[in-house]
Amino acid sequence: MLVVACIKQVPDTTQVQIDPVTNTLVREGIPFIVNPYDTHALEEALRFKDRFGFRVAAISMGPPNSEATLRKALALGVDETILLSDRCFGGADTLATSNVLASAIRRLQEQEEVGIVICGKQTIDGDTAQVGPGIATRLGFSQLTLVDRIEHLDREKRTIRVRRKLEGRHEIVEAPLPALLTVVRELNRPRYPSVPKRLASQETEVKVWSNDVLRLDVNAIGLKGSPTWVNRIFSPERDKGEIIGDGVNDPVATANLLIDRLLSKDLLAL
Amino acid sequence: MQPNPTVFTPLLIAALVFFAWSCYRRFSLVTLGRGEDRFQRLDLRVWDMLLYAFGQKRVVAKPFGINHFVIFWSFVILLIANGEFLIRGVFPAVSLALLPPSLRHALLLAFDAISLLTLVSIALAVGRRLFFPPSYLNTPYVKARSFEAFLILAFIALLMLAYFGLHGAEIAMGEEEAAAWMPVSSFVAKVLLAPHSSLLIPVASFCWWVHAVVLLAFMMFLPHSKHMHILTAIPNCFFASLGKPNTQPREEFTRGSRYGVSEVQEFTWKDLLDGFSCTECGRCQNACPATATGKPLNPRQVVHAIKTNLFVNGPLIQKGGKPIVPLIGEEGEGTNTEDTIWACTTCGACLEACPVLIEQMPKIIKMRRHLVEMESQFPEELLNLFENMEQRSNPWGIAPTERTKWCSTMEVKPFTAGETEYLFYVGCAGSFDSRQKHVSVALATILNEAEVSWGILGKEEQCCGDSLRRLGNEYVFDKMARENVRLFQEKGIKKVITQCPHCFSTLKNDYKQYGLELEVVHHSELINDLLKAGKLNLSQKVTDLGRVLFHDSCYLGRHNDVYEAPREIIAAATGAPPVEMERTRNNSFCCGAGGGRMWMEEFIGTRINLNRVEEALRKNPDTICVACPYCMTMFEDGLKDKLAGQTRVRDVAEVVAEGLR
Amino acid sequence: MTEPKKTLKKPRGVACLVEGKCIACGARCQSACPVNAVEMNDAGEPVIITEKCIGCVKCVKVCPAQAIEMYFTPEEQKILDELMKQGAAVEEVDEEARAVAEKIAAYSGVWVFVEQTEGEPAKVSWELLGKGRELADALSVELAAVIVGEKVEHLCNEAFAYGADKAYLIDAPVFRHYRTESYLKAVCHLIDTYKPEVVLMGATGLGRDLAGAVATVVKTGLTADCTGLAIDDKRNLMQTRPAFGGNIMATIMCDKFRPQMATVRPHVMAMPVKKEGATGTIVRESCEVREDDILVKVLEIISDKKGRDQVDVAGAEFIVSGGRGMMGKENFAILQDLADELGGVVGASRSAVDAGWMPPERQVGQTGKTVRPKIYVACGISGAIQHLVGMQDSDVVIAINRDKDAPIFEVATYGIVGDLFQIIPAITQRLRELKQQKSK
Ligand SMILES: Cc1cc2nc3c(=O)[nH]c(=O)nc-3n(C[C@H](O)[C@H](O)[C@H](O)COP(=O)(O)OP(=O)(O)OC[C@H]3O[C@@H](n4cnc5c(N)ncnc54)[C@H](O)[C@@H]3O)c2cc1C
Ligand code: SF4
Ligand code: SF4
Ligand code: SF4
Ligand code: SF4
Repeated sequence: MLVVACIKQVPDTTQVQIDPVTNTLVREGIPFIVNPYDTHALEEALRFKDRFGFRVAAISMGPPNSEATLRKALALGVDETILLSDRCFGGADTLATSNVLASAIRRLQEQEEVGIVICGKQTIDGDTAQVGPGIATRLGFSQLTLVDRIEHLDREKRTIRVRRKLEGRHEIVEAPLPALLTVVRELNRPRYPSVPKRLASQETEVKVWSNDVLRLDVNAIGLKGSPTWVNRIFSPERDKGEIIGDGVNDPVATANLLIDRLLSKDLLAL
Repeated sequence: MQPNPTVFTPLLIAALVFFAWSCYRRFSLVTLGRGEDRFQRLDLRVWDMLLYAFGQKRVVAKPFGINHFVIFWSFVILLIANGEFLIRGVFPAVSLALLPPSLRHALLLAFDAISLLTLVSIALAVGRRLFFPPSYLNTPYVKARSFEAFLILAFIALLMLAYFGLHGAEIAMGEEEAAAWMPVSSFVAKVLLAPHSSLLIPVASFCWWVHAVVLLAFMMFLPHSKHMHILTAIPNCFFASLGKPNTQPREEFTRGSRYGVSEVQEFTWKDLLDGFSCTECGRCQNACPATATGKPLNPRQVVHAIKTNLFVNGPLIQKGGKPIVPLIGEEGEGTNTEDTIWACTTCGACLEACPVLIEQMPKIIKMRRHLVEMESQFPEELLNLFENMEQRSNPWGIAPTERTKWCSTMEVKPFTAGETEYLFYVGCAGSFDSRQKHVSVALATILNEAEVSWGILGKEEQCCGDSLRRLGNEYVFDKMARENVRLFQEKGIKKVITQCPHCFSTLKNDYKQYGLELEVVHHSELINDLLKAGKLNLSQKVTDLGRVLFHDSCYLGRHNDVYEAPREIIAAATGAPPVEMERTRNNSFCCGAGGGRMWMEEFIGTRINLNRVEEALRKNPDTICVACPYCMTMFEDGLKDKLAGQTRVRDVAEVVAEGLR
Repeated sequence: MTEPKKTLKKPRGVACLVEGKCIACGARCQSACPVNAVEMNDAGEPVIITEKCIGCVKCVKVCPAQAIEMYFTPEEQKILDELMKQGAAVEEVDEEARAVAEKIAAYSGVWVFVEQTEGEPAKVSWELLGKGRELADALSVELAAVIVGEKVEHLCNEAFAYGADKAYLIDAPVFRHYRTESYLKAVCHLIDTYKPEVVLMGATGLGRDLAGAVATVVKTGLTADCTGLAIDDKRNLMQTRPAFGGNIMATIMCDKFRPQMATVRPHVMAMPVKKEGATGTIVRESCEVREDDILVKVLEIISDKKGRDQVDVAGAEFIVSGGRGMMGKENFAILQDLADELGGVVGASRSAVDAGWMPPERQVGQTGKTVRPKIYVACGISGAIQHLVGMQDSDVVIAINRDKDAPIFEVATYGIVGDLFQIIPAITQRLRELKQQKSK
């Protein structure tokens, strides 16, 4: 059985800032990293490998330099990597992205049965959490989002039981395979690559699939296949470092002031 | 008394063969280790050997050390006597009598006197072990092995007693013409033996045989005991690391290699020789902050484990087999636990203490390398550190764009090749830690005041990688070091000021391995030079700091021998030299942050920083002066924990900056 | 006198990149260019091959960062200015646009999906009805609530009370628990049948799970986690949301597809006033979903309130942390009170853990947990870097410390200088009062 982890290369958003003068994004020298949620997806895929001996493939859609991300996955121990890269994939929103990823998984399925697909809950650049459900829906896989614990995998009955983390509650859900999981950070602690594996990963091939391989309708991928588009970006209003009221002499009034502030900025709801 | 060669010769041959076999076996085990070049600068090596092995520099520095010195030198001189004894046992005709009488007389006098001295020393040693054992001898491990110590002492004592017995009897029988040169033996002859003239012959031959048997037994037992060090300490001092072991060797990252040490034969031959050279004196254990605070690490045990592990596994490996006792694993003889390996602060106290120049800490780092690089096995907290270092080049994972925030209140120039003289390498703590940022500002103010030509790398600055290297993550360290070296070379940087002893030591010592020769100064050195050269004038004496105590950082003091500069600038700024702690200078006690411990939680035992803070508080200081950002954190936290809020912590630069106001 | 009409040919210009503005959005410009005149460099920024450029302006339009402009030579600029003067800016009529307009005209109405667990509605749904009302009014269309579940009819009236005109109700045992597959079928069935132009859901675990699936089946755009919604002059929904970890805000459009779908962050839209007794039409629908076809089973729902002792600081949305300034274990009760009011948990600095006031698993920081709550309240915590690294990614940091120079204020969104023993209880008190007022 093949476990597929979908991973994405993202800019390290903690380093993204808006230039206060020009009001544009300062991106100079901002490194790319593996989307943090996806490292947990990879880890869980590798744990399936450790426990059940499944093979693990990591796939990523992105520009050619996303290869670095897949090499990192190789260093962690995945068996196969595929970079989905083509000009016509560019500019994709979640609908178009899930189309390409789902089609790649279908391709993989032709060679080997894909039992589990794991995605990070969301990416840190887009924060949408929509690609996972998109893939699951397209493939008709059981959709298990926000998984924070794998309870059980029954190879005989071909079911998986997981715990999902929702607002104020957890849910234990059982679903038949094949299933798509999106995972939260609490699920596991990602492993660290050993040096021999890192060195080996430098020499392993990362397969690149372009649309010549996937043969998708160009109107359903990339920019053309994306119903949404960004109209405008601007820097958020954010107040940093504001000292409120006079807490020393009038604690009660200051406390009230704080609450009013939070309410007026929609940071708190009663 | 004439020896009996027919009985003695076979005994001697048997003993010699056994001795030689034992030595050979050990030697062949040592050769199992990896290669390492320890032959450069033979002149220095000979000097080290004379100073430490024969001069016993570090032994005599301790109370009772002189006792050991006496026993050692007695042993060396009596080697002649014993050599004669053995030869004469086989060839009765060959004896000292063949020497010119004056020389013989002098030797006999020396033997006599030295034997007596040895007896006294032995008595003292036994008395000490029995009645005033120092704390480090009071561990279960040592107690379990004290039989051996007593046995050896008994052997030596017996040899001495037999010597006097034999010679006393000979003198009493009038067989010794040089009796006048043998006052102690003569005394024995006169007082003890003369009244029993009938027993003289049996006493003489009894003593001869006791002497012979004990001597042979001693020889056979020697390689099997910790007293092997009598033989190995000398070469060990000869082959000791020439510089201070303040850096670790580089690794070649090629496919198919293994990194670090997980099996005993992966140590170098010198590491293995260290194992056989340990005298089990316990000095390292006594100095080790980890041991002192109840961690499972004991540097002596680490060295000992190598020896025991080699004994079990070595012969198997020689036969092409696999080791059976793990070097790293569950607690047991010959095995180090992971907790042991992670407890080291790389403070170097063990290195500084060891009389025979054993290098304990580097072995620990070799094992860390294995755990990190091969097994990816390390305390959880380090995962963040490693990822942060690789992704954002600082231990906290703060955005590199924030590196220049510390100087938002002042104007700071970037380093410009050809124009700027010094690079002020701010370091991660100086850039991001709000407490240490004050020190960065203080130092910048001082540099400006003294009109030093300086600049910073700003957002281009990267972490030096100290913690990574000490934690055994050599792969990432190597990557960062190469990037830094390239950056420094590109910018044409020649002189660097650091405010952190860790950056200091790394740039200065570790980067040398990458072909980067820099003139690196710690800020305390530079400030001291500026003060001395009159380039920096303090406008006022700093008086509000009260009683100032100074704490030596390991990477400044022990690892790099900077002891005076910080003291001198404190004296210059406050008008009085700082108060010294009990453990000071090269005996200083680590704050607990080195070796990457800064990034780990301290779950086992008591806190190292509290141990040090308690020691400091015993001197009732108003201000504790430090010269390292990690020490700063450790002392500030420790003082808060001890609710000693009235005691402040100041960096030396802050003290000087105050004098500028 | 009539001016001689000189026909000036409108220059098209060539595209050029505005230095420093590109955000490396993922090569939208490149994919937009019909003649492959855009190459991407390693930094993910475009390099425009001027020779190839035909001046179609597609890249300019598609760039979210306004990083591409049309460049005109001075001569061309002159002609342009001339044209401007003549007011000859003739709108080119777009065939494509006409077809799209026709397609989307069939869709009408604003829908809000009412999320419920075992009959208990999620508050965000009512917040959305408030916002939905505004949007529906701006469009002069109906606002409808979509209610799917088992025995959930009572929610219809509640939806009317919060402003819905209509409620689409699918009530059947198979919808007892939320399962993607069954709900997906139900909602898609409704959309197919009634064709709304806007569908809103809460950006909750459930909402995002469902919305992502629905949008994929319906093949329309979906904007996640919106914090602002408005209608533009062309009757399109402008969806504003944070991106790049909240470092920028982006306004997203989905003008060529219907319905326009968005999930909306809870607690962001104002709660509408409840009008008891308001009525509306209930449209009862059924959907062919058989229990046997749905293979996913919800085995258990565990409310987090039950396991108080098993507090998960790392995943909490509201955290009230105490440091050495708390002075003692017993004082953490006031933090617990505040945390309860906020629906959060209590965390601690290492000092508080070392002192034995809080268990180690509550420690936040370098050697403790890394947290990213919506609100982090630091009480009596100085803000050592070892603590800061564990909590600085929080959306909002509130610091309460009596030392005005404490470094915690450097990262605080709101700081209060003062005695926490006076301020914390006052905050808790105020929250309680406000809640009481509200429930009256
Ligand atoms: C290896 C290592 C790892 C560490 N890891 C962590 C970690 O993971 N997490 C962590 O938190 N720390 C960690 N630290 C400790 C860190 O250095 C600080 O010591 C710690 O964060 C300080 O905790 P504090 O702010 O609660 O205490 P303090 O620094 O003592 O601050 C107490 C604050 O409370 C204020 N205060 C007191 N009374 C009142 C009052 N009545 N009203 C209002 N304000 C008041 C004071 O002004 C002061 O600012 C680590 C340290 C080391 C060496
Ligand atoms: S370096 Fe320091 S902590 Fe490490 S073993 Fe030696 S004395 Fe102990
Ligand atoms: S390693 Fe050195 S200091 Fe430590 S016990 Fe052995 S001889 Fe003594
Ligand atoms: S204006 Fe048109 S042709 Fe020119 S680069 Fe942009 S998209 Fe390509
Ligand atoms: S579309 Fe704009 S932001 Fe995106 S890559 Fe092109 S220039 Fe950069």
